[in-house]
Amino acid sequence: MDPDALAKAFVEHYYSTFDTNRNGLANLYQEGSMLTFEGQKIQGASNIVAKLTSLPFQQCHHSISTVDCQPSGVNAGMLVFVSGNLQLAGEQHTLKFSQMFHLIPTPQGSYYVLNDIFRLNYA
Amino acid sequence: MDPDALAKAFVEHYYSTFDTNRNNLANLYQEGSMLSFEGQKIQGSHNIVAKLTSLPFQQCQHSITTVDSQPSGVNAAMLVFVSGNLQLAGEQHALKFSQMFHLIPTPQGSYYVLNDIFRLNYA
Repeated sequence: MDPDALAKAFVEHYYSTFDTNRNGLANLYQEGSMLTFEGQKIQGASNIVAKLTSLPFQQCHHSISTVDCQPSGVNAGMLVFVSGNLQLAGEQHTLKFSQMFHLIPTPQGSYYVLNDIFRLNYA
Repeated sequence: MDPDALAKAFVEHYYSTFDTNRNNLANLYQEGSMLSFEGQKIQGSHNIVAKLTSLPFQQCQHSITTVDSQPSGVNAAMLVFVSGNLQLAGEQHALKFSQMFHLIPTPQGSYYVLNDIFRLNYA
C-alpha cells in the first residue's frame, strides 16, 4: 500500500475508534508506547488508554484537515502528522488540534503506535 | 543533557537561525532529510534550504508556545513537536503553526533533522 494511503487509513481507523470506543485503542499501543497529552507524559498501552478514557467528555468527533507522512528511518516505521478539529458534544465551537504518531510495523503485518504527541492549538 | 532541555535548545537554535539566516539551516539537514512543507514533499539538504529561502517573505519571527519531546526508539533519536506563532514582517496578525522534527544523533555528538513536517493551523 502507498504510504500516504496507509497513513490516511490509519488516521481514519484511529479517530473513528477514538470517537466511538476509546477502549478499542488499546490494540494500537504496546508497553513501550508513549503518549504526551497536552504536555503530560504517559507510557504503556494500559496507562495511555486509562488517560484517554478519563478525559472529561463522553462524546467527541474528530474531523481531519490534513494528514502528512514520511518514513521515519526506523524499521520501516512511519511518521504521521495530523491537523484537524475536535468537536465535543454540547459545545458550539470546535477545538483545533495537531497530533503526531510514530507507527512501527508489527510482525503480523499491521502497525502500532510507538510515539503519540497531542496538542490543542488554542486560538 | 536532559532530553526536554535538549529539545528546547534545538528548537531555540533552529528558529533563531530560521529567523536570522535561513541559509545556515543547511547544516541541520543531510541528503536523506525530508521536509513536508504545507503538504509539499522535499528531500535533501540543498532542496530543503532552497524551499525555505524561497518562501514569499524576507523577515519573520517564530514565537514558540509548546515544545514536546519523546525518544523515537532508536539510538538516542528524538521526536520534537512544536506549536507556536509565526509573525511575518508587515502583517498585523501572527499565523499559528505546528511542526515536528525527528532528530538523529551525529557521530560528532550533535543532531541533524531527518524528518521535518510543517503545517500552518488556519483559524
